[in-house]
Amino acid sequence: MSQPNAGISNENTLGRLFKKNKTIIGLITTVLALLFISPYIYIVLTSIKPSSDAISPSPTFFPRELSLENYVTMFNQMPIAKYFFNSFITASISTILAVFLGALAAYGLSRFSSKTGNIFLLLTLCVRMVPMISIAIPMYIIINGMGLIDTRVALIITYTAINVPFAIWLMIGFFNNIPKEFDEAARIDGCNIFTAFIKVILPVSLPGLATAAIFCFMLAWNDFLFALLLTSTNAKTATVGISEFLTAYNLDLGPMTAAAVSFSLPVMIFSIIVQRYIVSGMTLGAVKE
Amino acid sequence: MTKESRVSIYFFAPAGIFMLVFLFFPVALLVRDSFFEIDMIAQGRGTFVGLSNYIEAIRSERFIDTTTNTLIYVVVAVGFELVLGLFFALLLNTAFKGHGIVRTIMLAPLMIAPLVTGLIWRFMLNNQFGIVNKLLYDFNITSSRHAIQWLSDERFALLSTIIADIWLTTPFMMLVLLAGLQGISKTLYESADIDGANKIQTFLYVTLPSLFPVMIVAVLIRTVDAARTFDIVWVLTQGGPSNSSEVLSTYMYKTLTRYGQVGESSAMAVIFIILLLAISSYFLIAMFKANKK
Repeated sequence: MSQPNAGISNENTLGRLFKKNKTIIGLITTVLALLFISPYIYIVLTSIKPSSDAISPSPTFFPRELSLENYVTMFNQMPIAKYFFNSFITASISTILAVFLGALAAYGLSRFSSKTGNIFLLLTLCVRMVPMISIAIPMYIIINGMGLIDTRVALIITYTAINVPFAIWLMIGFFNNIPKEFDEAARIDGCNIFTAFIKVILPVSLPGLATAAIFCFMLAWNDFLFALLLTSTNAKTATVGISEFLTAYNLDLGPMTAAAVSFSLPVMIFSIIVQRYIVSGMTLGAVKE
Repeated sequence: MTKESRVSIYFFAPAGIFMLVFLFFPVALLVRDSFFEIDMIAQGRGTFVGLSNYIEAIRSERFIDTTTNTLIYVVVAVGFELVLGLFFALLLNTAFKGHGIVRTIMLAPLMIAPLVTGLIWRFMLNNQFGIVNKLLYDFNITSSRHAIQWLSDERFALLSTIIADIWLTTPFMMLVLLAGLQGISKTLYESADIDGANKIQTFLYVTLPSLFPVMIVAVLIRTVDAARTFDIVWVLTQGGPSNSSEVLSTYMYKTLTRYGQVGESSAMAVIFIILLLAISSYFLIAMFKANKK
């Protein structure tokens, strides 16, 4: 390495060093990132170990021998498929409802007044501030009063209610960016205001709808608190089911890892595919475009 | 009213009615219930008791301890997440070859359910079979395989839940801060370069101040989420041993389901909402001031 002469400022040397070191930074970051997600990899690897290895007093990171025993036990031990089905149905229907109601309302607001849009920004923020448990307590009383305890309908209602303000807020942003000329052109072509919305506005705002849908679905799919509180046997969801593998003697830890992986791996792969939408939804509000 | 605005109301009405019935009504009911003594089994309307639920909650030592635990959880978890998230964001922002792939790897935990995170750490921190204790022993940090009873020692239970939270949400912090870093105008760096600022000076006087508004929003979002934590704590410790890791959400859940005290749990829930709103308005004011600058 050449000696820096007096004419070149210290920063330039640092800068050059920095560029040379970019590869090293890349390597270090890659190692750190892999270390960071190693807990998840460990769970995935454990799920394909023989059941007894999962509760070995001397655990190893990599499996010594592969086995699907944990997955078989998982299915035998509880009606896990039914719980997954409940999760999927409640999450899907509540997502469709929330996104549809949200898009309708957002369209009305964005074409009506931008001030009302701001109210929804505030409302969404407020809903985010309210602890889930604070909504869960009165929700439990209401659902109980309606005789809907342990039904999928109870969960669908709850998830939709929590997701609607978020969907409205997200969609207002999208609709505001669609020029009003779009609506007008559609109206000239013979659409009324509703068909213009369905045929013209919704198709161009598909990216927004997708982002809203992903987040609504994830909230419902990942929910544990409401499902724990509002269901017992019939409408029990996957999260509550999986948590029941945790017993006092830890003997079901193997099948538990299998259930945790079955529950999270498809979602993770899906989320990598739709990463673009997730990133735009998560940085929304924090970073101005 | 014009025809246009009437139509707008039709569009808004379905969502509006839904929120009214299933969002605003519950919150109103919560506030009402907080002033009543209610028997869950009798299903009656209960008797009005004024502020006594609130007084009982605030006076109870357990509520104070739980609030303190929640505060510790929030401060420690969000603090670490901010530092770690910034660290990873800065590394990724150097745009080395393949940074896109590394970013994807880092984002993987982003969509994992808090419940699953709890399960992962419950497994790894297990007293008998956990790999964390084994690694600590293998690296000679602890003297025995069972040196730390992560989940059943009062000194470590809350820390264990915090570790799980940090692991789950550092990627979120990283993602938002990275977006913030990429949003900083290049001209700022160029002028710092002309002024002869070195890397550290540029970081302190250009990067950090420009990133500040984004940081406040990220910290606000995370503070609120961390304060509401339920799943991770429930799965890891259920608030135990002897309430050492009890946070507000788990305590309220128990008050409602195990002790059936609707009035008292409602009063605590109202206090909780007020606390969170107070904290968030503090952040929002700070952000407003930062934006004005």
